[in-house]
Amino acid sequence: MTLLSFARGPGMQLATLILIAGMFWRLSGILLLRRRVAHAAARNPFAARLLGGGVAIFTRTIPRRTFWPRVGAGVALSYVFHVGLFIVLFGGAPHILVIHEIFGVAWPDLPKGVVVVASGITLAALILLLVRRLTHPVLRLLSTPDDYISWVIVVLPVATGILLSGETVASYGTLLALHILSIEALMIWLPFGKLMHVSLVFAGRFMLGYNFSRKGAAT
Amino acid sequence: MLARRGFGRRGLLKFAIAMTASLALPPGMATAMADNLAKARRQSVIWLSFQECTGCLETLLRTDSPTIAALIFDFISLDYQEALMAASGSAAELTLRQAVAANKGKYLLAIDGSVPVADGGVYSLTGGKANVSMLEEFAPDAAAILAIGSCAAYGGIPKAFPNPTGAVGVEDVISNKPIINIPGCPPIPEVLSAVLVYFVSFGRLPELDDKKRPVAYFGTTIHDQCYRRPFYDQGKFAKSFDDEGARQGWCLFELGCKGPTTHNACASLKWNDGTSFPIESGHGCLGCSEPDFWDQEGGFYTSLAGGTGPGWRDAGIAAVAGIAGGAAASFAARHKTPKPMPETTE
Amino acid sequence: MKDFDFLAADRLVDALLMEVADLLQNLLSHQRAGTIDLLGLPLSAACLAMLEERLGGGEISAVLHVSGESQIRETAFPGVWWTRHADETGRVAALMIEVAEVPEIMRASKADMEHGLRRLSEVTNFAQTRPAI
Repeated sequence: MTLLSFARGPGMQLATLILIAGMFWRLSGILLLRRRVAHAAARNPFAARLLGGGVAIFTRTIPRRTFWPRVGAGVALSYVFHVGLFIVLFGGAPHILVIHEIFGVAWPDLPKGVVVVASGITLAALILLLVRRLTHPVLRLLSTPDDYISWVIVVLPVATGILLSGETVASYGTLLALHILSIEALMIWLPFGKLMHVSLVFAGRFMLGYNFSRKGAAT
Repeated sequence: MLARRGFGRRGLLKFAIAMTASLALPPGMATAMADNLAKARRQSVIWLSFQECTGCLETLLRTDSPTIAALIFDFISLDYQEALMAASGSAAELTLRQAVAANKGKYLLAIDGSVPVADGGVYSLTGGKANVSMLEEFAPDAAAILAIGSCAAYGGIPKAFPNPTGAVGVEDVISNKPIINIPGCPPIPEVLSAVLVYFVSFGRLPELDDKKRPVAYFGTTIHDQCYRRPFYDQGKFAKSFDDEGARQGWCLFELGCKGPTTHNACASLKWNDGTSFPIESGHGCLGCSEPDFWDQEGGFYTSLAGGTGPGWRDAGIAAVAGIAGGAAASFAARHKTPKPMPETTE
Repeated sequence: MKDFDFLAADRLVDALLMEVADLLQNLLSHQRAGTIDLLGLPLSAACLAMLEERLGGGEISAVLHVSGESQIRETAFPGVWWTRHADETGRVAALMIEVAEVPEIMRASKADMEHGLRRLSEVTNFAQTRPAI
């Protein structure tokens, strides 16, 4: 069995199962934790509370103006990375192809040049984010191995993807295998590290908004 | 010998020029090749067919090639080949033994078909003798072994899962002889004739890659030479067979083409004397010159970007298992007795 | 795209002409013939056409009739030959620039001449008037 056939077969199956099991594990584990009983009466009906939760997901996308001097640069850089990655993942033809092969849905892809530029910007943003983490005194203090491992786990698919689309440095088969394997590593790591924020950020904001709405506070 | 056919030095030199160009050798070698071919005695080739469909032999025979390629039969003496020879039965066996004895140490052993080794090799017998035993018997006295076609090179279609006959390639049985693999299902005929010419001219096999394939023909991928490459680069893909993109001749990557990972000369040499090749005829490359192409993940029509995932049922089981694990963890956390408050001293 | 193709072809053709000059110098200094295998290079049709045009035509043009037709043409530069070998179906088997006094394939070989002399002596009285061949 070659590296590529492992990546496209048993590797993909294992990584997908671990990703699914892991995400359900963590989400259900969090949801089923004992919550402090709220003895006060709810200020808003249930529907309004749900709406409050949903609204909070959007209102928390931009930090409050007061915090811009402190977190502005980091948030902006992070958005550049996330938007760039979104463009590559959902606008790039090979990724749309994979989604189509799994779920049967597809949409028009973006021109290759646009995706190439976006991938370059994504990689640059990632590197700058690491530099920021290493040079910012507070961030350096707060950073854990999880932060650095997660960075490596994300930069590998982006970098191998760029090499693969340029078909340079190594043979197509090798580059494709490395790209798929790096994604499988990401899938395996995701539920257990800070990358779980892909789901938790929305769940967390929702709970915040729900609770605020319950108390009658603005969301 | 050639002069009797009305073939002088010029014809031989033109043949050598065509061969050196095909083999991607330095053009200056044509003279040396022509000189060697003029002096060479006919090279004995003993061809044993094992667990095969005869497609490899057919592709060589059906070559409509004019003199330039057909000339190869002036340089080799095909001393044994079961499909072509007139003799059969014990007369054929005698022919084989005589050919081997007469050319001991000097014949090229050409094999097509895989070698089944399960249950003592009983799944492919010639004259009651297991093919694996024949290979072991006749390999030691050969100068080199040509494994023709993907079956002989890697095991091919008989090796596809579940491989009930224990089929393997020649190199999995013989390890102490120079072996050249000429894979493909079938292989391109010009490749075999060029390899034979090289051996007759220079007494050795041409430069080989890590899978023992001649670099001159297997050094690049289909993708590297494909005429539809500009469409790939521009992101113009056919989405289904016979859709508008397919009719425009767009790239077949999304329809499962394995061109990027397949090494062969199909895109440049093409088939049937340069008529066409699968992609030009509208179907993606199957990857037939690479090992285990029958068993590749997702089959022929899943793109290289995809593969085989776990399936919805197993994904569902994983989700349920995850929920169970998470629930167990959270209930364990719930029922943890809280640590007693630390004593305060005033 | 067409203009870009043209520009790139121009550079490649310049490089190849430099190589031809190099080979010609080699021939003059060391009597060593040289060959450039054009089909072995990644040349577009435009590039080949431009190269052929820049080399031009010379005083000799020959056709070889064996295993199909081959065309051997001296270019505007003496000693530099444009050779195109085709098989019976017309398919190009080799395309080369040969730098030599005469391309080797045009020479009559000793073995062929001896064979021809034998055939000639059969139809003449040559053998009767000369020592035994």
